[in-house]
Amino acid sequence: MKKLQNLPLYGVVFAILFFLVFPIIVVVIMSFSDSRFLTFPPKVFSLRWYESYFLDPAWMRATRNSFVLAILTTILVVPVGTAAAYGAHMCKMAIMRHMQLLLLSPVIVPVIIIAAGLYMVYAQVGLLATKLGLVLAFATMNLPYVFISVLAGLRSYDMAQEDVARSLGVSRLAAFMKVTLPQIRPSVMTGALFAFIGALDETVISIFIAGGENQTLPSRMFMSLNDEIDPTIASISTVLISVSFALVILMSLRSPKKANG
Amino acid sequence: MKLFNKIALGTALSLAAPAMAQDVVNYATDGGTILDVKQEYLIGPAEEKLGVDVVVDAMTSRFAPFKAQVLSGKPTWNLIDFSAGYGIRSQNEDLLEKLDYSLIPNAAGVPDAYKDDYTVGSTAYATGLGYSTEAFPDNPPQTWADFWDVEAFPGRRAMRNGPRPALELALLADGVAPEDLYPLDVERAYDKMAEIKPHIDVWWSSGAETTQLLYDQEVDLMQIWDGRAKNAINEGAPAVFVWNNAIVEYAVFAIPKGSSHPEVTMKVINEMLNPEGQAKWASNYATGPLNTNFAEFMDPERLKELPSAPENLAIGIPLNNAWWASEAGEEAERRWLEFMQQ
Amino acid sequence: MTDMPKLSAIERTEQRSFLLLFLPALILVALIIFAPLGKLVVQSFQDEGAFSLVHYKRIVTERIYWSIFVDTLEVSLAVTALSALLGYPVAYAAARASRLWTGLILAMVMLPFWTSVLVRTYGWLVILQRRGIVNTTLMDLGIISKPLELSHNYTAVLIGMVHVMVPFIVFPLYAALSKIPPELAQAGNSLGGTRSYVFRRVILPLSAPGLLAGAVLVFVLSLGFYLTPELLGGGKTIMVSSLVERNIEQYSRFGAASSVALSLLVIVLAIFWVVDRVLPVEKIIGVK
Repeated sequence: MKKLQNLPLYGVVFAILFFLVFPIIVVVIMSFSDSRFLTFPPKVFSLRWYESYFLDPAWMRATRNSFVLAILTTILVVPVGTAAAYGAHMCKMAIMRHMQLLLLSPVIVPVIIIAAGLYMVYAQVGLLATKLGLVLAFATMNLPYVFISVLAGLRSYDMAQEDVARSLGVSRLAAFMKVTLPQIRPSVMTGALFAFIGALDETVISIFIAGGENQTLPSRMFMSLNDEIDPTIASISTVLISVSFALVILMSLRSPKKANG
Repeated sequence: MKLFNKIALGTALSLAAPAMAQDVVNYATDGGTILDVKQEYLIGPAEEKLGVDVVVDAMTSRFAPFKAQVLSGKPTWNLIDFSAGYGIRSQNEDLLEKLDYSLIPNAAGVPDAYKDDYTVGSTAYATGLGYSTEAFPDNPPQTWADFWDVEAFPGRRAMRNGPRPALELALLADGVAPEDLYPLDVERAYDKMAEIKPHIDVWWSSGAETTQLLYDQEVDLMQIWDGRAKNAINEGAPAVFVWNNAIVEYAVFAIPKGSSHPEVTMKVINEMLNPEGQAKWASNYATGPLNTNFAEFMDPERLKELPSAPENLAIGIPLNNAWWASEAGEEAERRWLEFMQQ
Repeated sequence: MTDMPKLSAIERTEQRSFLLLFLPALILVALIIFAPLGKLVVQSFQDEGAFSLVHYKRIVTERIYWSIFVDTLEVSLAVTALSALLGYPVAYAAARASRLWTGLILAMVMLPFWTSVLVRTYGWLVILQRRGIVNTTLMDLGIISKPLELSHNYTAVLIGMVHVMVPFIVFPLYAALSKIPPELAQAGNSLGGTRSYVFRRVILPLSAPGLLAGAVLVFVLSLGFYLTPELLGGGKTIMVSSLVERNIEQYSRFGAASSVALSLLVIVLAIFWVVDRVLPVEKIIGVK
């Protein structure tokens, strides 16, 4: 009785989910096409666009750059974001709210505005198309995700455990590292994962400030789409989707706790 | 923070270090097939001959980053090519290094009209009318007036999202003779554009889009560059490119002011103008090398299809870059956005 | 988050040291967000090196700027409404389904979330264009005789943007809906309320904060959206972001770009300020 009543709902939900997934299925299938242009359905299947990705030094350079930048970004932003989240969690002062809002500004300010401003500032100080400039920008853009994720972890964690450790004479830092951090590790890892994937996929910022030897994958994809629309980009994103998903699955295997919200 | 900064900086530096022994020439240009072919027949041989490392930065909108780089005082790019209009603008704004033609002997083959103290012509390209032979099997559109005639030639249409050379096309469609085009009657051109605007389905902004549009037959007739049309036709698109009254533009090589080792870059330019290499390039990609000596190395049949072939240059209409760089030209350029938004 | 009435001296020092933990993050934000914003402010008030209001005057007086802002608001509003309409049933189903199904549904929502926006846009182009998947299928089935105009227009922009935005509304909604005990709806039903009555009087009000949070986020993200309208709109839908980009990339007019960007920022901040009266900003972004 109840099941039948729900049928229309599930029909609608299925249709919406199809809408969400369909373009991605199309992209994945096109990546195996033999055609010079984006055509669907492909008449002949081949791996030539994977070859044109993996055998092209410029694509490989951009890929390496993006992964290096994503790793550096993660290394930079995870401690910074975790420290801030811990501070936000422990600090009871009223000013905290404003500080938090400042920290969330990378999400609040439209990315095109940040990109345009960064472009002008970086051009002036010579950070345009440099690794340092890109890492700083990517780290800041992904800071809110680390912050939010770690803060959520801290909120569901019983601080009394840390207090116990401290009452035994352990310093706050040591208590945090030895007692608290292992417990909130899943949240920190989630934040790190978001930061990593976010840095890998940061497109608009990249378009404005990446380039030269420090071309990133998304910005090269954008440039290349301006020059030639061919299925290489489909094969690249198929690879990227696989990487993202592998990382997520790996993460969820490591932390069997049910992630809620 | 400082610590992290140092770590990031240290890692960044160590990663950027490899193979710095060779001179590196960062070259900003268009990507795609044209680059692949150029890489094989011009850039590769130049690297080998001169022992330099040419790092290509493929991007379509190069002027703004180029300008920002030069203004910052330390440009990343050593070599750039862009349309001659930007060449003039860059000279007006003092953004370029002067060329030393004694280091570029191959430039002798470039006609005087296509070179000056700061820039030397690389290729010519044409904006013409492309149409689908499936949509127009007989009596196809042949002129810009036909393109504007939506009654006689119904179909989905595409134009470039920009005034250059749309305004020229509009005036030609309105009956202005090619030799009377300049200075453009901007008012009349925009009036004519307003006529066609409701019938334009796609305003394209990149060359890649146009190939896809013609290939997929997303539109039936369009304003398109010769090389892009050729690309789609080579892949089997049922389409034709009309040379008659095509607008001929050209691109130039230039060296950003303040970039390192300009003499090395000039030697690279010289190799890029090598007539044999240019001929091989043009044999494998429909482009129009401007070192006219390339013609001796070309198959005559193939030569006929190129924008810098003598007969095509003759029926094409050269775009007046000086006009577009003038006050009136810049004003006409600015008006475009308003036109699009109406 | 209220000030404790009386803090001991030790506690106060400690509290201050917690603030210090914030410092690295604040420095990053100051360098990467606020320094560029400052640069934009300076440039927006400059013309040829001197102080000038010309860029703001242009926005106010020239009709095209005005109409681009209005169009942007309109598109964003439409995208927000459509995303809410599509996101709600998905979030509802995810909140009510068994654990396995919840995981599956959320994974399917995440999938587009982690696929480059650029690439998805081209996926849509292949689906929507004249000889694309939708048109050929419908024509093969004999449902239509002439291809529908789905690509390179406003419809395509809406479809592409909604596709990007739905996940942003599903997650906060799911969080809100999964907190409503299923017994509550059952109780409503057993007391004789129709399903739609129970939905309107119980579920919808209880999920309203999640819906509002998601909607605000989607609206604000849409305002600054850049790639999708550029690529799917056929050049006919001009958004504020394109105006900023064009002023920089094509005309190198940094002052004009800055003033447009800052005007957009003011609109965004105003929206957050208004919404903040009802729902704290931290909630919208997911801190609480």
